[in-house]
Amino acid sequence: MATQNTAEPAPPGLGEESGRLPEDGAADAAGGPRGNRSPGRPARSSASAGGNRLWTVLMLPGTLWMTAFLIGSLVLVATLALGTTDPLGNPRFGFRLENFSALAEPAYLEVMLRSLGYALLTCVICLLIAYPVAYTIALHGGRFKTLLIALIVVPFFANYLVRMYGWSVVLSDDGPLLQGLRAIGLASDGTKILQTGTSVVAGLVYGFIVFMIIPLYAALERMDVALIEAGRDLYGGPLRTFFHVTLPATRQGAAAGCVLVFLPAMGDFVSAQLLGGPDQIMIGNLIQDKFFQGQNWPLGSALTMLLLAVLFLGMLGYLRRARKDEAEALR
Amino acid sequence: MSPEALSPSTWMSRHLSRRSLLRTGSAAAVGLGLGTAASGCGFDSGGSASQKTGDEPIEMKIDGDLVYFNWADFVDPAVFAGFEKEYDVKVVQSNFDSMEGMVAKLNAGNKYDIIFPTAKWAERLVQGNRLRRIDHSQLRNADAVFGHYDYFADPWYDQGSRHTVPFTMYKTGIGWRKDKIGDDLSGSWDDLWLSRAKGRVFVLDDRDEVLGMAALKRGLDVSTSDSDDLSEITSTLRSLRPHLRGFSSNSYNNLLTGNAAMTQAWSGDMAAMLNEAKDPSKFGFEIAKEGAPLNSDCYAIPSNAPHPGTAMLFIDYLLRPENVRKNIEYIGYPMPVKGSEDTYSALVEPFPSCVVSADELKDDLYFHNGDKQAERARDAAWTRVKAS
Repeated sequence: MATQNTAEPAPPGLGEESGRLPEDGAADAAGGPRGNRSPGRPARSSASAGGNRLWTVLMLPGTLWMTAFLIGSLVLVATLALGTTDPLGNPRFGFRLENFSALAEPAYLEVMLRSLGYALLTCVICLLIAYPVAYTIALHGGRFKTLLIALIVVPFFANYLVRMYGWSVVLSDDGPLLQGLRAIGLASDGTKILQTGTSVVAGLVYGFIVFMIIPLYAALERMDVALIEAGRDLYGGPLRTFFHVTLPATRQGAAAGCVLVFLPAMGDFVSAQLLGGPDQIMIGNLIQDKFFQGQNWPLGSALTMLLLAVLFLGMLGYLRRARKDEAEALR
Repeated sequence: MSPEALSPSTWMSRHLSRRSLLRTGSAAAVGLGLGTAASGCGFDSGGSASQKTGDEPIEMKIDGDLVYFNWADFVDPAVFAGFEKEYDVKVVQSNFDSMEGMVAKLNAGNKYDIIFPTAKWAERLVQGNRLRRIDHSQLRNADAVFGHYDYFADPWYDQGSRHTVPFTMYKTGIGWRKDKIGDDLSGSWDDLWLSRAKGRVFVLDDRDEVLGMAALKRGLDVSTSDSDDLSEITSTLRSLRPHLRGFSSNSYNNLLTGNAAMTQAWSGDMAAMLNEAKDPSKFGFEIAKEGAPLNSDCYAIPSNAPHPGTAMLFIDYLLRPENVRKNIEYIGYPMPVKGSEDTYSALVEPFPSCVVSADELKDDLYFHNGDKQAERARDAAWTRVKAS
C-alpha cells in the first residue's frame, strides 16, 4: 500500500526523513507504533532488552484495568445471561438457557435488523460528511488546524444525553425550527421532524461523527502531501489523484472511523428514545427496558450477548481487512 | 447515583416530571449500575435466605443525622431546613432515579434511614423482610392519614401498614391539547384512538401503564398475566399503533412542545405542567370512565437503617399539616392527609381530575406484583407491543 511504502526502507520515526516539514515528522512519530507493528524491522528488534522490560511494566496497569473492568464485567454479563431473578427482581446466577430461548421472539430479529440498518447508514453518512471536513482541516487548516479540531471536539464534552434532549426540544412540532419554517411557508401544520427514521439516524450521525473525523484527520495529516503533488505531476486530474492516491492512503483511517462509529451506533438507545417513535425502536432500547422496567437483567444480558455476537462478526471483518492491508504494506 | 444519570434532571427545572425524565436519564447509568447491583447478586439456590429482623419497636428520638434517600426534589428544601433547625441534626441527602436503582443500592449494602418506595416495591421489600416496623401510635398526626384515608390502614402492599406510611398518590389519565383537538373528549380510553389525533398520540413508555390501559378498556384486570387476556391486550394495542407517534414517559414535555396532541399521562406530571405552561387553558386532563390505574408511594425505614429514631421523627415532622402543605405545593402530588385536600384542589384547579379522593383508592386499580411466570408473560407481551 502506498503510505507505508513511501517511507523508504530506512527505519521510520528516528528523524532521518529530512525532506519533511517538522510538523509532518512529529505526526509521523505519533503514528509510529501503527506502522511499526510489522516484524522484520531491524532497528526495532535491536532495541535493548531492558527497554522491552520497561514496556512490559508500563503495560501492566492498563492490562489490569482492562481485565478488571472490561473483561470482568463482560464475564459478569455473560454468566448472568444464564441466570434468573429472585422475587425482589434481583438477578441470580444459575445455569439456564431460558433467556436465550426467549430471544427466538421475532420482534428481536426485526429490531436487530433495523438497528443494523441504522448503524450502517450512520457509518456511510458520517463518512461522507467527515471526509471533506477532515480533508479541509488537515490539508488547508494551516495554523488553525488545532483550533478547528478543538472546535469539533469540545462540544462533545457536554453529555450526549443532554445534547440529544436539547435537540428533541428544538426539533419538536412547536419548537423554534418548525415554527420558523412554518412562518416562511416551508413547512405545513402536519410537518414533523421528530419520531421519524430520518431524525433517529440524524441523531446517531450527530452523536458519533466526531469518531469518524478524528481518525480521518489523523490519516490525512500523516499522509505525505508530496504524494498528491506526484499524482499531479503524473498528469492525474484532481479527481483521479483523489481516488488513486488520497483515498487509498487514508483507507485505514476511514475503516477505523467506521468501526468507531458503527459500534456505539448499533447499541445506542438515546437517539431512538428521544428522537424516534414506535417504529424506530432499536435494540439498545429493548436492552434498556429489560434492565429497568422489566427488571429482567438475565434476559437483558442475553440480549446484550446477542448484540455483542453481531458486533463481533463486524469486528472480525474489520480485523481481517486490516491484516490484509498490513500484509500488502509489507510487500 | 452517577453524575450522568443526574445531569439531565438538574439541567431541566425541578418542575420537570421526575418520573418521566429521570427514567430516560437513568438509562445512562446502566453501565455503572451493573457494578453496584452485582454485589446484590447471589447464586440461584431456591429460597432466599433472609433473616427475620426489624420487628422490635423503634424508639422515636434523635439517634444521629438523617440519611435520606428519595427521588430528586421530592421534599421542599424549606422543610429540610426546618427539621434540621428544630432537632439540631443534619439531613444527608441522596437521590435515586428509579425504583430499580433504589433497590440495587440497598442490595449493595448501602445504609439509609428513610426511603420512599412505590406500593409495588414496598410489597417486595416487606416480603423480603427489608423494612423496620413503624408504630403508628407514635406519630402525632397519624390519625389524619389512617383515620380518614382508611384504605391505607390496611393496604394490599403492606398488611396493616405495619412497615410503611403513605406519602403521595397519583392516577393515570389522558392529557391533551385543546387547541389541537378540541375542548372536550369523551372521557374514555377510546379517546386515544380518535381519528383527529391520529399520528400525534403518545402512550407512556411503561409496561404496566400501557398493558393496563388496554386491559381497562377491555374490562380486564390491570395486572393480568393470563395468556388469553394478554393476547387480547396486544391485539387491542396493535390497533392503536397506527395512531401512535411514540412511547414516551415525558408526557409533560410532549404536550408543551406540541409533539403530542394527546398522551397518556400521570396526574402529578399534569399538575406540574400547569406551573410551566404559558397558557394553561390550552391543556386538558381527563380520567377514563373505564378506570384509571392508581399508584402511591410511602415512607419506609430499611431494616439496616443506622438512625431509625431520627427517621421516625422525620416522618412525624413531614406529617405536620404545615409541612404537608408546603410539600404538596412544591411537588404537585396529592398526599393522603386529611386537611390537605383544599391545598391540592387549589393547586390543580384547571385539572380537577388530578385529585385522588379517599373513595377512589382501590386495590384492583393498582399494578400488583406477579410471580416470575406472570412477570415474564407481561414482559414478552410488552416487547411485542413495543417492537412490532
